Amino acid sequence: LGKLGEKLRKSIKKLAKMPIVDEKVVKEVIKDLQRALIQADVNVKLVFKLSKSIEKRALKEEPPKGITPKEHVIKIVYEELTKLLGKKSYKLKIDKKPYKILFVGLQGSGKTTTVAKLAHYLRLKGYNSAVVCTDTWRTAAYDQLKQLTEEINVPMYGDPNEDNPIRLAKEGLNKFKNYDVILFDTAGRHKNEKELLDEMEMLSKEINPDEIILVIDGTIGQQAKSQAKAFSERVKIGSIIVTKLDGSAKGGGALSAVSEVGAPIKFIGTGEKIDDLEEFDPARFMSRLLGMGDI
Amino acid sequence: MFESLKNKLNKAVKKITKSVSKKEIEKGKVEENKSGIFSFIKEKTISEDDIEDVLWELQLELLEGDVALEVAEKITESVKKELVGKKVKRSTDIDKYTRNALKNAILEILKTDSNVEDLLKIKKKPFVILFVGVNGTGKTTTIAKLAKYFMEKGLVPVIAAADTFRAGAIEQITKHGEKLGVKVIKHKKGSDPAAVAYDAVNHAKSKNKDVVLIDTAGRMQTNMNLMEEMAKIKRVVNPDFIIFVGDALTGNDAVEQAKMFDEKIGIDGVILTKADADTRGGAAISISYVIGKPILFLGIGQNYDDLIEFKPEWVVKQLFT
Repeated sequence: LGKLGEKLRKSIKKLAKMPIVDEKVVKEVIKDLQRALIQADVNVKLVFKLSKSIEKRALKEEPPKGITPKEHVIKIVYEELTKLLGKKSYKLKIDKKPYKILFVGLQGSGKTTTVAKLAHYLRLKGYNSAVVCTDTWRTAAYDQLKQLTEEINVPMYGDPNEDNPIRLAKEGLNKFKNYDVILFDTAGRHKNEKELLDEMEMLSKEINPDEIILVIDGTIGQQAKSQAKAFSERVKIGSIIVTKLDGSAKGGGALSAVSEVGAPIKFIGTGEKIDDLEEFDPARFMSRLLGMGDI
Repeated sequence: MFESLKNKLNKAVKKITKSVSKKEIEKGKVEENKSGIFSFIKEKTISEDDIEDVLWELQLELLEGDVALEVAEKITESVKKELVGKKVKRSTDIDKYTRNALKNAILEILKTDSNVEDLLKIKKKPFVILFVGVNGTGKTTTIAKLAKYFMEKGLVPVIAAADTFRAGAIEQITKHGEKLGVKVIKHKKGSDPAAVAYDAVNHAKSKNKDVVLIDTAGRMQTNMNLMEEMAKIKRVVNPDFIIFVGDALTGNDAVEQAKMFDEKIGIDGVILTKADADTRGGAAISISYVIGKPILFLGIGQNYDDLIEFKPEWVVKQLFT
């Protein structure tokens, strides 16, 4: 990350020294920017789309008075990226009762932990939340969610001997209908597992959720786009939570998923502990992505 | 899993051929004018200018295939080195040279001295294997698969449930053990993972078992406390082999993870999981180069048999035939 930021800053410095920002200089800066974004795992096609509009604007627009060409280009880069993420942060709105949230995502992306984190978060906000385990695939999925919810004192429904997720969802729905929020955990699945995607679609029909949250691993690479697409073709993704951003990953893959499914990021996961969940801040995410500190 | 990377490489070879041969013809015309003799034999020395742009495109294609930046740079660099200065007579030459250059570059990157059989040969009893990796990459499932792998070779494994932190981790590995008929050594949740690992090794010694597989909690490579804990497990059990379990869906961070684990703990081999999720294979090409350690297996599903041996020649065959 440091090395990349350095490269970027160097080329931007180069740019600052130029009396005029000509095509050659801009192109060079764009090349560095492309490299930085690709290394942060932003989808390559998305990078090109982005850099094209940045290049066009950087060459065409006159920098406003008092702003150096350098600052101007940085500003354009920032603005174009912000367009993707949205300027403001999107909050989770609980506007009916019970508010049903369905969690979906790839294997190992962090759904179960995130379900518990969000249940805990909502409880602290004063909502009466409950959790349903519909993961009948992964060994000991039930035990994991049970232990997590016991820790935070949130009721949980599941049955390790039941192998039909639809039945589990139905039961859970019935059991917790008087709660403010019901969170449904599901098994991990990927785009090549057709049966599992069918199952997810059926689950969604049964639950009729008010919000479907796609949980994305912050370390995911160029696959993010096509995986996110496979999910959103089957169910309507309402928001995204990016996990594991406490490591060295820059989360560019998540950005690609956002642009693919057209849903905002609402939270990020920053650790394994139950309160390691933060509301998403686009500006901070962006500077992390570019390795530029605060822009 | 390498389908997409294969297409990209083929595309690159075609582009390089086209770009060079276009300039070749132009040059041929010039020579013709000078000498005044009509000649069908044209020779062209490939220059840096000829391939600069296409190599940049190749680099981007590799990056799109999840090949880490430094590895993509290394590949294009060695292709450039092998091509620039080469004399070519026809476009089929360029195609051949480029293909070879790419093949060599990738083999070079994947090359290690030993194969799975040698590496996991039981040199002492019990043979202790420690598993490390970040959260959710598939360590526990992989351990269950490997336990089965060893059993099929007639060896008796024992598993240490040394992930004492994550909710449900002990139950998960215990159930795998029950299904496979493998003894799982465990303590209570929250207990010292090093103590569990130590007990498992002692159990294996006293019961004359062949292999100890130590499951550990997932940890971010940037979390120093947890890395310290891992180092402690290593000190206590002195493993014969350390396997890094990485997720093939991971992008550039895969390399960061492997690097850090290798620095802090030391890695002997790698297993890449979730290769069935249509990954582009870039991580497979990147990881072993950066840490200089071989990839042993690919995980290709959620069943115990979904584990295949990984060989560099196999990868090159996937990519170039």
